[in-house]
Amino acid sequence: MSKRPPPDPVAVLRGHRHSVMDVSFHPSKSLLFTGSADGELRIWDTIQHRTVSSAWAHSRANGVLAVAASPWLGENKVISQGRDGTVKCWDIEDGGLSRDPLLVLNTSAYHFCKFSLVKKPKTSLKEAEGQSNNHDEQDVEDKRNAQCTDGSVGSVGDSDLLQVTDGDHAESATYVAVAGEEPTEVEIWDLNTRSKIIQLPQATPDESASASTKERGMCMAVQLFSPPESQGFLHVLAGYEDGSTLLWDIRNPKIPLTSVKFHSEPVLSLCVASSCDGGISGGADDKIVMYNINHSTGSLTLRKEIILERPGISGTSIRPDGKIAATAGWDHRVRVYNYRKGSPLAILKYHGATCNAVSYSPDCELMASASEDATVALWKLYPPHKSL
Amino acid sequence: MAEAESKEALETKLVDKVGEAISAIADAKHVDQVISAVHSVALLLFPVDPTTRIGEKVSSSLVPCAKDERSDWSQTFYRGVAFPTFARVLLLDVASDWLSCFPVSVQKHLYDSFFLDGPVVEVVQVLVPFLHHVDKNSSVDANSVQTNVERLLILCLLENAGVLKMTKEIGDYYQGDSSRNGNLKPLLSRLSQILTSIPDKARLKSPPLLSSHLYFKHITNQLLQILDDRASCNEANSTDIVLSFVGEMFSRICRRGLSDLLLSEVTPHVLAHVRRLLNSNKGSVEIESFQLDPTSQIWLKTVEAVTDPYAVEKMAEQLLHQLYAEHASDVEAFWTIWTLFHRNVKHQASVRSIFVDKFLLWKVFPIRCLRWILQFSVLECPPVTNTLAKGDITQGLLETTQRIASVWSKGEFLQSVPLEQQAYITAALGLCLENMSREELDRKKDVMHNILQGVSCRLENPGDLVRKMASSIAFMFSKVIDPKNLLYLDDSFTGNAIDWESELQTAVGGVRSITSSRENGDGETKTSASLTEGNDSSGRNKQKKDRKSKDIANFVLADPDEIVDLATLNCGTESDKDDDNASVSSDNSSVTSLEPYDLLDDDKDLGKQFTHLVDVVGALRKTNDADGVEKAIYVAEKLVRASPDELTHIAGDFARILVQVRCSDITVEGEEDSAEEKRQRALIALLVTRPFESLETLNSVLYSPNVDVSQRIMILDVMSEAARELANTRTLKPKHQARGPLISNISDPQPWYLPSDASTPWKKVEETASFHLNWANRYERELQPKPGQKMKGKTRRWSLRSGDRDQSSTDWSQNRFPLYAAAFMLPAMKEFDKKRHGVDLLGRDFVVLGKLVHMLGVCMQCASMHPEASALALSLLDMLQRREVCNHPEAYVRRAVLFAASSVLIALHPSYIVSALAEGNFELARALEWIRTWALQVADSDIDRDCYSMALSCLQLHAEMALQTSRALESAGGKSSSSMGPMNISLPSGISKLTSFKLPSSNVLL
Repeated sequence: MSKRPPPDPVAVLRGHRHSVMDVSFHPSKSLLFTGSADGELRIWDTIQHRTVSSAWAHSRANGVLAVAASPWLGENKVISQGRDGTVKCWDIEDGGLSRDPLLVLNTSAYHFCKFSLVKKPKTSLKEAEGQSNNHDEQDVEDKRNAQCTDGSVGSVGDSDLLQVTDGDHAESATYVAVAGEEPTEVEIWDLNTRSKIIQLPQATPDESASASTKERGMCMAVQLFSPPESQGFLHVLAGYEDGSTLLWDIRNPKIPLTSVKFHSEPVLSLCVASSCDGGISGGADDKIVMYNINHSTGSLTLRKEIILERPGISGTSIRPDGKIAATAGWDHRVRVYNYRKGSPLAILKYHGATCNAVSYSPDCELMASASEDATVALWKLYPPHKSL
Repeated sequence: MAEAESKEALETKLVDKVGEAISAIADAKHVDQVISAVHSVALLLFPVDPTTRIGEKVSSSLVPCAKDERSDWSQTFYRGVAFPTFARVLLLDVASDWLSCFPVSVQKHLYDSFFLDGPVVEVVQVLVPFLHHVDKNSSVDANSVQTNVERLLILCLLENAGVLKMTKEIGDYYQGDSSRNGNLKPLLSRLSQILTSIPDKARLKSPPLLSSHLYFKHITNQLLQILDDRASCNEANSTDIVLSFVGEMFSRICRRGLSDLLLSEVTPHVLAHVRRLLNSNKGSVEIESFQLDPTSQIWLKTVEAVTDPYAVEKMAEQLLHQLYAEHASDVEAFWTIWTLFHRNVKHQASVRSIFVDKFLLWKVFPIRCLRWILQFSVLECPPVTNTLAKGDITQGLLETTQRIASVWSKGEFLQSVPLEQQAYITAALGLCLENMSREELDRKKDVMHNILQGVSCRLENPGDLVRKMASSIAFMFSKVIDPKNLLYLDDSFTGNAIDWESELQTAVGGVRSITSSRENGDGETKTSASLTEGNDSSGRNKQKKDRKSKDIANFVLADPDEIVDLATLNCGTESDKDDDNASVSSDNSSVTSLEPYDLLDDDKDLGKQFTHLVDVVGALRKTNDADGVEKAIYVAEKLVRASPDELTHIAGDFARILVQVRCSDITVEGEEDSAEEKRQRALIALLVTRPFESLETLNSVLYSPNVDVSQRIMILDVMSEAARELANTRTLKPKHQARGPLISNISDPQPWYLPSDASTPWKKVEETASFHLNWANRYERELQPKPGQKMKGKTRRWSLRSGDRDQSSTDWSQNRFPLYAAAFMLPAMKEFDKKRHGVDLLGRDFVVLGKLVHMLGVCMQCASMHPEASALALSLLDMLQRREVCNHPEAYVRRAVLFAASSVLIALHPSYIVSALAEGNFELARALEWIRTWALQVADSDIDRDCYSMALSCLQLHAEMALQTSRALESAGGKSSSSMGPMNISLPSGISKLTSFKLPSSNVLL
């Protein structure tokens, strides 16, 4: 064969006893966070490939749904979401988790939608911290009925709170988007105040218009980001059960900026590139969709549609440099695409069960994939050239 | 009148002379006197060389000098009583007393000439009776007399071409006076009788030339010489009588059982002639050229003179074999047979029936011979090059086809005739069909009906070859009916014509070689065959599939459309780097050169989606979801082997569903076998892991009306396989399931709490020894040798007791089958003979019966030497002794019974038999004795070769078992007499009585 065979993982991290639900790199250190369906949160050393620590972050019955870390949270914080209706923020001390969470958000949400931290363009990050690595948000997963009422009714007053100014990032970036107690809604919580700030669509007492939006079904995936064009105001991308994707500007919580339907089945995963001008989404159908976000018109446009042999994408991720993207498939495969062109680059066969999540390290060197077979695989594909 | 008178006078004179000589010999005191006496007679008859005269007292009174006179003398001497009288003296008295003293030249020229120079016809008649002349009372030395006679016979008949001379003499007689012709016939027959009886009369010690083989070879050569002579010189007068003599000789030689010898000489002779004739005619062969050929006519007459039908049959049979051995072509063979037999066949109904009936239906020839037979006797016209040619007259063909077909169609024929013959007749029928047209077939309605019947009864036979016969005939039949729409019952066969020779006959030969293997091997070959049999020609399908998959592999490997980019091969990584370099400055251009990996994707690994048996069972129930069923079947075995707790509860259900799944429905064409195999594997796994639960279901399903024969067969197959597996599991199981450390990663498999500087990993010492040793965990590791250190052992251990490490760390699981033996066997045996709806083991479903018996045999073997075997053996033997079972018309069943009986013999522990005998339980002895008699009976009379060889090995096993038992019996008897205590009491006088009347027979009978 003239072509190179697809590579094997450079390392396989074993230790979880249940399906690994989510995986996330530390923004600066060589650490990897993984959460499994039995509630265990593990921290791995990505150089030594060893477990650094392990803790029961959530109850065994409910398990960890998502984990994430972000530069805006600080070096020593990691957030986990369980299916027990809580989002917990942990302190990483001496390589281990703190005995008790720093804070607990009782979202009372018991769905499968993974939460989302704020994603900001690289430039703003650089300016803010002088530190290059931005955090690659994890695949966003199922979200139960976030019923988005199109209804335009609602106050606009809260929007100030949600402005993420460049200068004030550390404070203002501590928002978390998550499908709410009512799974058709998206809620945004402030980690600092531990309180819910807004819900999308904003509840309106009168609405009959909600009837139309109910057809969208549950919110299955959510992505929170702060595009540079919006003066730091947060935007939310949410995928719904009927396959439609909605873009919200927080300043207008009643009506989404746009609504498109790229998928024919529930949208399971959304990822926005770190430049915030586009993203990738996967769902239960046999499509992977790449799209552009036009902030000036507030619209989503289809850029590339990839048809798969076997349906089901549960996780997507775009490398921070925006060159390649990866998807985690129900068919046990991790697929790697050229993000710019949308052409396939590799089909990685290692996992023996459904893949739940993929994630890129902030330095673009590593990719981690988490699977139901209780393993986490580390891959090195197309390593970026380290230029000084 | 005067002539007669003078003759009489001559005879009287001669008799006087002979009388004188005889009395002189009787009175002789010295050898010279004897010689002179003999010489005096010889002088009258032969021109005796005077140098031989040693005796001086030769009376020169009567010296007939004239040649004419001497021939008169000689004629009178040999025709009359003088020769027999004098010969008697010469052969008895002279030979025993004086001959050894004769000088060599005298013996040669004087003594021998009496026999060599006279007419052979007379000489032979005189000589032969002395061959076994043993007169106890006489003073004659029998040995020297017989040696002498043998010597003379060899000289006379073999070295001096006596038979040749004889025919000349016969011809002379014939011509000489026709009045004697009436006597000639009896004379000829007597002569031929005498000639052919010589080897039988000769002693064992006689010279090898008189042994029947060499003797008849010489005689035959002389006869051939005669025929050649007659063919070349056409003196019609005496020819007939000579030929009838030759024919008589031929038939007598055949009667003596030497037809092979005869034909091994005759065939090349005739064949050479036929070849010569064919060559001279340059291929354009016409019947006339053969009819007019003198040699052919001679041969025809000769063979016609062979009136004995037995001899004709033997000759024809041998002729075919010889032609086969000579590699004659079809044309040559035809003409050879034609030359010899065509007139016989035409004129004698008996000879015709030999060819048309016997050779087609009762004998087995190579297929090429079969073609000749058909060509000669059925098609009755010369062949065209090497294919069967069809003449204008097809009545014979039709009748023969009908006859063969009616024989072929019968079920009894299938059951009662050995496989070789089946193959032969099948080929005959096929060849006949090959030469028929549809119209001809339509004229005989029965043929069509018979063929269909025969095909259908063969197709359900368990034997591969028998099915193959059916499919071959069906193919030929379809070819006759509709050449454009051929019927392929057999997947492997795709050609347009059938090579009967290689397809059937050599295959039969192949079977022979397999079955000649020993009993143990037999069991194995059988099972290997059994799986394939169950799957209905799966072997071939497998081959086909292999071919297919290979094709696919090749295809993938050599994709012609693939573009090989050398640059990517060599500098893939470099380009990546460049790429990324560039991307920093301008991202669009750079991204383009991200080189994709091989994007080949298959879904091989996606099959194992079921992780719970419950799901598998559920999926199997949904028969409309073929994919799901297939996947479920594929994962079933693994899940069952994992033996989860839930298995206990669903084993029964699962087994039932697995039996009922129709593999052919769910899989694509050509994939049935793998699914079928997976299904069987899963069932085996189920039986092995949860025997009781699954057996309960399987046994209830086995005779239930809603499964078909193939499912029953599969159940039985699976049961035997499972029994084997249960018996043979010698898996090494670690006693402690090592718990992995809580945290580990791939680079460093060593637990954190072990010393980290170790060069080799530490291992926990597994200890299951006595309790007090087991007070703490210990760890050990292998040390790397220091440089210069001698390696003494492979490992070093720090432990108190490391010797039994192997035993303690692993658990040898032993034969687990006996525990379940009863569950395997008894329910299946219970109601096998009951005829239920859809179940008729003793009748129609004999294949199932065979499988059942075989399975029971396998179970016996698996339980062998365990007490359970002894307990079950009796009931098994009860079942086998049923007349319907052990004398089943199908060889398949009998084979299975033999196998089961042999298994019983293997399985019984001798000590059990002894104890059964000691307890007065003669039932077992009777059953074992039955095995012996029955095996003997099978070995004697069974038509099936496999049955025969299996019966023999069964007898052998029986003998071994009897030997072991008698040994055990002796030792038990010895113990009982020597040991004190309860043993003596518990074995009362019965044992001695037992040994006294049972032991002598037990060596033989048991």
